[in-house]
Amino acid sequence: MHTQENGKTTILILGIGNILMGDEGVGCQVVQHIQSRPLPEGIECLDGGTGGFHLLDAMQQADHILLVDATVDGRPPGSVLKLRPQFSSDYPRTLTAHDIGLKDMLDAFHLLGRTPRVTLFAVSIKPLGEMSTELSPEISSQISHIAEAVLKEAKTILAENHLEK
Amino acid sequence: MARIVIDPITRIEGHLRIEAIVENGVVKEAYSSGTMVRGFEKILKGRDPRDAWAFTERACGVCTTVHALASVRTVEDALGITVPKNAELIRNLMFCTQLVQDHVIHFYHLHALDWVDVVSALKADPKETSRIAKSISTWSRTSPKYFKAVQDRVKAFVQSGQLGIFANGYWGHPAYKLPPEVNLLAVTHYLEALEWQKEIVKIHAIFGGKNPHPNYLVGGVPCSINLEEVNAINTERLNHVGSLINEAIEVVEKMYIPDLLAIASFYKDWASYGGGLQNYLAYGDLPTRSYNEVDSFKFPRGAILDRNLNEVHEVNGRDSEEIKEYVAHSWYAYAEGDDVAKHPWDGETEFNFTGPKPPFDYLNTDGKYSWIKTPRWKDQAMEVGPLARMLVAYASGVDEVKEVVNDTLKRLNVPVTALFSTLGRTAARGLETLLVVHWMKGFYDDLIANIKSGDMRTFNNEKWHPDTWPQEAVGVGMTEAPRGALAHWIRIKDRVIDNYQLVVPSTWNASPRDAKGQRSSYEAALIGTPVADLDQPIEILRTVHSFDPCIACAVHLYDPDGNHIHQITFN
Repeated sequence: MHTQENGKTTILILGIGNILMGDEGVGCQVVQHIQSRPLPEGIECLDGGTGGFHLLDAMQQADHILLVDATVDGRPPGSVLKLRPQFSSDYPRTLTAHDIGLKDMLDAFHLLGRTPRVTLFAVSIKPLGEMSTELSPEISSQISHIAEAVLKEAKTILAENHLEK
Repeated sequence: MARIVIDPITRIEGHLRIEAIVENGVVKEAYSSGTMVRGFEKILKGRDPRDAWAFTERACGVCTTVHALASVRTVEDALGITVPKNAELIRNLMFCTQLVQDHVIHFYHLHALDWVDVVSALKADPKETSRIAKSISTWSRTSPKYFKAVQDRVKAFVQSGQLGIFANGYWGHPAYKLPPEVNLLAVTHYLEALEWQKEIVKIHAIFGGKNPHPNYLVGGVPCSINLEEVNAINTERLNHVGSLINEAIEVVEKMYIPDLLAIASFYKDWASYGGGLQNYLAYGDLPTRSYNEVDSFKFPRGAILDRNLNEVHEVNGRDSEEIKEYVAHSWYAYAEGDDVAKHPWDGETEFNFTGPKPPFDYLNTDGKYSWIKTPRWKDQAMEVGPLARMLVAYASGVDEVKEVVNDTLKRLNVPVTALFSTLGRTAARGLETLLVVHWMKGFYDDLIANIKSGDMRTFNNEKWHPDTWPQEAVGVGMTEAPRGALAHWIRIKDRVIDNYQLVVPSTWNASPRDAKGQRSSYEAALIGTPVADLDQPIEILRTVHSFDPCIACAVHLYDPDGNHIHQITFN
């Protein structure tokens, strides 16, 4: 893993989604939950909302990105799939991440010569219904557990990286 | 005769499906269907109008700031609030940032690949690319070594079996006309533009506190100016904005515009396709005095009918007879029946999905076939976007617009009618970017001068408190998103939102037919477009992409399996 110029590792927890679409905003809600407490040095959080190209800078600054996004893949709502994708084609096709933007960014890293590692937490949701700022009970009850799992992963990566050095 | 379906149209935000009937290699009929679901009023009803911007700007990751701008203006219009000069200037700078970043991204990352063959760039001679680059621009990075390095990187990427961002192209299609060396130049600038765009948007974070989704404020802007204060808009931050604007001018003048003209010169035949509608609508923006003084706008407001550039019609968003929406071919139901049209203040959003269950071959285009409503201005179908803005400005007699348009027509050696085309639309986008980066510098200088004169005000709090509001009020907030006229309408009752409607640019352009059967922009523009290979309808993408579709406003209802459908049947 490469590190920032100042020698410090940065892990970015990036939540993606549309909070106006109920469960589709689960990634943002997880990040907001994590942000409500103080974080160890080296771990940063960003509510990426529906931003695509706007996220390139923050993503490029990180050594490792923990991406939290929703997926409509038919599995029970609230189940979480953890993946280590390399290229955009490695991502589940059902990821709700927006057409232009996120996946393109990840490929762009290869061309721009700086490739952060990515761990994806794909949270299964029910097919989208009408607009709402409310989460379904199935997802709402899982937010703190998902946040816990993501934060634990971030801390593990941070610790591993200190050992490597 | 063949009916082809492209679903989804790639390299856009949101989900768009085009069905086109092709006869003897030419599009005879076209239907546009978008999966935009709108339910904003349901989310916003009962909320504090001062909070509406924060919800509307979440609608999309592309045009976040313009939705916030339209929203705060809507509320200010309803309550009769005028914002301080600094706030107007800072809003203009946010607007310009968004427009310039968005247009550059559209050109290099969404539209260029319709004209630029990435795979062909791998065969280019970097020395020749360098020679061409130097002949069209004084841009700093033009050495053969530099182009060779980029070519090697792209080669390695492609050889890894990962086309990634370049996966959805029709590489090798005969419609690609650029020599390999120009393709390499464009691919190189694709990467440079990607690096640059992340810098320019820092202006949003400086004035709006964060990015994505920067903060806005009813009555002004949510930042305080104090040249000495660490946490305010201080000298250091203003200097940063100034240098970002100067960089943007460099990028647009020395990279975007020369590339645009170089590429356009190989595709002049596209100045005769894709014109479509004859009517153009712009709400205008960039006030040099106040938003309430429409005659002070850099982009004038107005409508053009029948391509008559000698007359500009006035446009009034408050007149219930001007802007109205139909649902005759959209999956909604109006209480009074689906043949009527409704002004947004009286807008209704009752879903009425009658479409086929997937999997299906074709939409029933005789009935309802889209989630997008159909807006009309005085019952006319209107094109909105950069071309509409430039034509309205041209017809309004804005000298700098006339100059840059006439100069470009001369350089490409094409007649004025070339504007009404796919190429004209793409060129208009570049030309307005050139104007806007310079206007941006002007707004920046005005802001500095105003601050130096001692005016630090960024917020008007006179009507902040709901006690000062009337029992009922209506408002409209108009702006120009990069892709066209955008407005929000609000009805406030008992100090909360009673109704809230958005009419976004892609509803004008991507909508289905109206009750009279009149086509909207995409459908009209596609007629007459040649399609050489039904399996690879790149020509359809060129024309649709020339509008810079963005139909995310409100949503992404995904196909559960996210399939890239592309099917053709012959009958």
